[in-house]
Amino acid sequence: MQARDIAIQVPTVATGDPVARTVQVMALGRLPGLIVVDERRRPRMVVPGTQVLRILVPNSYQEDPALARTVDEAHADLFWRELGGLTIGDFLDSRDFRPATVREDATLLEVAALMARRCTPLVVVVDRDGTLTGAVTLERLLGSLALSTPDVPED
Amino acid sequence: MTLSATAALAIFVVAFVLIATEKVDKVKVVLIAAGAMALLGLIPGDEVFFSEHEGIDWNVIFLLLGMMIIVGIIKQTGIFDYLAIWAAKRSRGRPYRLLVMLMAITAIASPFLDNVTTIMLVAPVTLVVCGRLQIPAQPYLIAEVLASNIGGAATLIGDPPNIIIGSRAGLSFNDFLVHMTPIVVIIFAAFTLLCWPLFRRSFRYNPDRVAEVMALQESRAITDRALLARCLAVLALVILGFGLHSVLHVEPSIVALLGAGAMILVARTEVNDVLKEVEWPTLVFFMGLFVMVGGLVHTGVIETFGGWAVETVGDNFFGAATALLFGSAVLGAFFDNIPYTATMAPIVEGLAAEAPDPGTGRALWWSFALGADFSGNGTAVAASANVVALGIAARNGQRISFWEFTRYGIIVTLLTTLMAWGYVYLRYFA
Repeated sequence: MQARDIAIQVPTVATGDPVARTVQVMALGRLPGLIVVDERRRPRMVVPGTQVLRILVPNSYQEDPALARTVDEAHADLFWRELGGLTIGDFLDSRDFRPATVREDATLLEVAALMARRCTPLVVVVDRDGTLTGAVTLERLLGSLALSTPDVPED
Repeated sequence: MTLSATAALAIFVVAFVLIATEKVDKVKVVLIAAGAMALLGLIPGDEVFFSEHEGIDWNVIFLLLGMMIIVGIIKQTGIFDYLAIWAAKRSRGRPYRLLVMLMAITAIASPFLDNVTTIMLVAPVTLVVCGRLQIPAQPYLIAEVLASNIGGAATLIGDPPNIIIGSRAGLSFNDFLVHMTPIVVIIFAAFTLLCWPLFRRSFRYNPDRVAEVMALQESRAITDRALLARCLAVLALVILGFGLHSVLHVEPSIVALLGAGAMILVARTEVNDVLKEVEWPTLVFFMGLFVMVGGLVHTGVIETFGGWAVETVGDNFFGAATALLFGSAVLGAFFDNIPYTATMAPIVEGLAAEAPDPGTGRALWWSFALGADFSGNGTAVAASANVVALGIAARNGQRISFWEFTRYGIIVTLLTTLMAWGYVYLRYFA
């Protein structure tokens, strides 16, 4: 099987979208991560679900746990509103969110190796022009591998 | 000038321009420039690691390393968050009072911590407090950076130019306390007064938002009071060690390294976690920089420029002090003041050697230090702390433009340099 065979269509967000909206897209769509595309639908960022808090939690609190402790409970529930007008594009420079991409003809081993190397449950599939054609999720990959593997004999 | 001197100067100038314009990572620039000098035989290969004047100044490198470890552990105690929030609460949302409180904390911390660390500790709290008061954070952040660059001038360890100058000129921690701290205190007082007319138009008072600041729980910042006490005790011993240099004859770098080791022991922290707090790129940058300057010394470039400087000065040493003070304030503002200081230090050393007495020679060093330190306020790129503050502000949606910072920076640099000039004249030449 190749990446194109198991790729699925997932909602994407644009670089100009506010961070709060992008997180809503991910939460409501139950996505394993966020795919950010530019105006030509080329992937610019892939944010694994586990890493989305690095965008959502203001840097000040991430870098200074003592400061996070000083915030009272009422405000602590609303920390993500401090992001204000920041858009997802403001994080484009982060090397941590470089998109993990494979071509449509990549094998499942290539996809799995990339996921393992980049610690991401989401890999984007692109065509020859680098345009997004779909995505492979960890769940989809493992499901496909399980189905294609002969039954493991039980002891 | 010989061919090798011309080649060394050419490499140096290209590297300096690239560092100043920040087009390329400055660590890469100094490493490539130092490598090019080594390949062309412009530096004494066998002395790069062993010569104090033509190679890497390890006193500077290890003093920085030791202090980075010490500060890295202390900041985890939460003491700075506690103090900044405590101060913000005392201001009760009054803009000028809040500004002075935050500046005072910054200026008191910066003589003992490097300016970048000070800003990284104070700026996030400032953003939280301003966010709660729903007021723009830019004036407060700018004022803190300016205060940090002024305060850092007070001691040997407060600002990297002082560390370089102290090592090159053989000036001790106490020398800085005696000669720099008094004028820095006076200048800081004048700066706090200047802040009222400077930032008045940006001040906004939202009395109905004060309760939001009062809800911050500063006491929760410190989770381990015993750890804090142990860390502060070690810091006090380190500062005492710096102060007893003339008695103990232990170099500041050794004191800092011993302090760092003691801090790791009392904090019972993992060495690997502590080493993450070290800014390795900064240390490598310094090493490359020293090799580049070593190339200029070895090929005779510094001697040539030093000769011109001595000839120009003649016996007018107040003129030389004035030129060093204002020249450093202007040049340091447009280039990063660290490479500027590293380059100029050997030239100042030559000038000081020609002075009629040691006191006059030292006056030149103090003029140089004051000019180089205060130049850090000149523009948004003059010191690393400025760049870091602008970055933090931008990441939190409170963008500060180059000119927004610089228009305040120029006024403050002018005030501080003029006051420093008066001090140098009255204390050393009147």
